Amino acid sequence: MNAIETNGLTKIYSSAFGKKQVQALVDLQLSVPAGTIFGLLGPNGAGKTTLVKLLLAITYPTFGNATILGEDISSYKIKKRVGYLPENHKYPPYLSGGEVLNFFGRLSGLDGKYINKKIDALLDTMKLLKWKKTKVKNYSKGMMQRLGLAQALINDPELIFLDEPTDGVDPIGRKEIRDILVELKKQSKTIFLNSHLLSEVELITDRVGILNKGKLLREGTVQELTEKKEEYLLRVEDENKTLPENFDGVLITKIDSGRYSLKVPNAAALNKYIDLLRENQVIINEIIKHKNSLEEMFISLINESEKENVK
Amino acid sequence: MKNVAIVSWYTLKEAMARKVFIFFAAISILVVIFTAVILGVTNTQSIMTGLPGKNNLPDIGFIISRLEVMIISPLAGLGLLLAIFASSSFIPVMLEKGNIDLLLSKPVSRSQLLWGKYLGGILVMFLNIALLIIGVWLSISIKFSYWSFTFLWGILVITFTFAVLYALIVLFGVITKSSMPGMMFAYLIFLILSPLLKLAHYEMRILISNDFWKSAADAAYYILPKTSELMGTIILKLASGETITDYQPVWSSFLFLTAMMGIGNYVFNKKDF
Ligand SMILES: Nc1ncnc2c1ncn2[C@@H]1O[C@H](COP(=O)(O)OP(=O)(O)OP(=O)(O)O)[C@@H](O)[C@H]1O
Ligand SMILES: [Mg+2]
Repeated sequence: MNAIETNGLTKIYSSAFGKKQVQALVDLQLSVPAGTIFGLLGPNGAGKTTLVKLLLAITYPTFGNATILGEDISSYKIKKRVGYLPENHKYPPYLSGGEVLNFFGRLSGLDGKYINKKIDALLDTMKLLKWKKTKVKNYSKGMMQRLGLAQALINDPELIFLDEPTDGVDPIGRKEIRDILVELKKQSKTIFLNSHLLSEVELITDRVGILNKGKLLREGTVQELTEKKEEYLLRVEDENKTLPENFDGVLITKIDSGRYSLKVPNAAALNKYIDLLRENQVIINEIIKHKNSLEEMFISLINESEKENVK
Repeated sequence: MKNVAIVSWYTLKEAMARKVFIFFAAISILVVIFTAVILGVTNTQSIMTGLPGKNNLPDIGFIISRLEVMIISPLAGLGLLLAIFASSSFIPVMLEKGNIDLLLSKPVSRSQLLWGKYLGGILVMFLNIALLIIGVWLSISIKFSYWSFTFLWGILVITFTFAVLYALIVLFGVITKSSMPGMMFAYLIFLILSPLLKLAHYEMRILISNDFWKSAADAAYYILPKTSELMGTIILKLASGETITDYQPVWSSFLFLTAMMGIGNYVFNKKDF
């Protein structure tokens, strides 16, 4: 089952009197399978937050439709099973952390004894238990973020939207948040993550989508997106041996002693080249497919799409 | 219904966090104490015996109710001014970025949110006014050993007057997302338009010579809420147990309230955040 499915989802913001129009999201087709962590990446203003707001009916689509957990997004009752951490979230400053969770827990339909137990457990996980009775106006940024995450989890949601969850959190706190997300995935929850922090997304997501100017440029597993088609890294035992060059379309570039980069037209050509190396008594230590970091891929993809836009 | 109650309850908390309502409650308590002390040192027996038409006993009730209304009237007016000021930010605060996003991500409908805020604001006003009126009523009733329950109607009338103006504030809050316009308009109606239009409609009617202005004033009179009549004749008559001959100020104000909340709810349900 898909936890999220969108169909031609489009959002056009128009300013007063319709003078200026912003296409925040254009004809989006997207499916997020249940039980996975999906990372939505994109530069500022790409439309990431807009998509989440549309899915939660905070904003209404101009065209198209979507479902979450199998129900149309116009149904507010489905949100009993959904959690959300917005960017720049704000809580009533006169409430304490515990009261904030109590309020949102009750709004999510929880009651009685259960809610208090749940609040303590969540505050404990978020390392906020001793701040339970402190007014949120005295919380630090990182504490606010962790309280926000607790708030998003108060109703044991099946589907969790997180908009920049590690924003303003220190590296240790970020690691802790990542661990929490991985733990949630083990409980077969679906997590939809908006982020700029590509290295972080790379560590935990199953699938990623790349959004720019409201358009989904690419979508797939991190592996699919970062793999460079026919580029390999080769490491050989004897650092001084010179490798045969100019072989049947294979381009060999030395990186440093004993390490080479191979560009090949196809896997068959690579295998032929390996045969040649072995005929020459070259001992191969390692041969791996070359990977871009998600960040490199992201930057080149965005640049490409910008160029196309100029044309 | 449960969601509306939760939002109302937290609106009450929000109001408590805002000092204005505490300030008003403190003033009310001071007035009640003051009234009790003044009455305590006054020889009411001599007042009672000195009453004109002593053999005409119901007059005592009439005078007591006038005394009660006299004490609470300026305070109720002040209370309304303060309540308008304090409650005008309820909706804009709720609609702030980061706050409304969270509320709308919960299994709560937009109408429930709006009505929760509305009823919560009214609840605050009700509690404040009840404190004032019951306090004054108790001190007077005990002193004179004369228990007239009609004065307590004042709690409902003043709360209702607030509810009418607050509906307007809610509508403006939803549309403009700021507190100023609604607050200003509510003050305009309460302090200027309603008293003036009442004059134009009744006492000064003959002074308007031009037919066009006559009907314009009438139209404005019927459309806008009649806060000055609610806080004037309606309270006075209810307090002294007189029969009210014309309920028009009540039901036409109620229609205004319904229209404001209806439009407010419609706009809120359509809005992007
Ligand atoms: N309420 C609104 N009215 C008009 N334009 C809007 C509104 N909200 C967003 N936009 C515009 O829509 C586009 C997408 O904004 P969005 O907030 O979805 O981007 P984002 O990908 O979340 O960016 P960031 O990484 O900075 O959070 C932007 O151009 C933004 O200016
Ligand atoms: Mg955003």
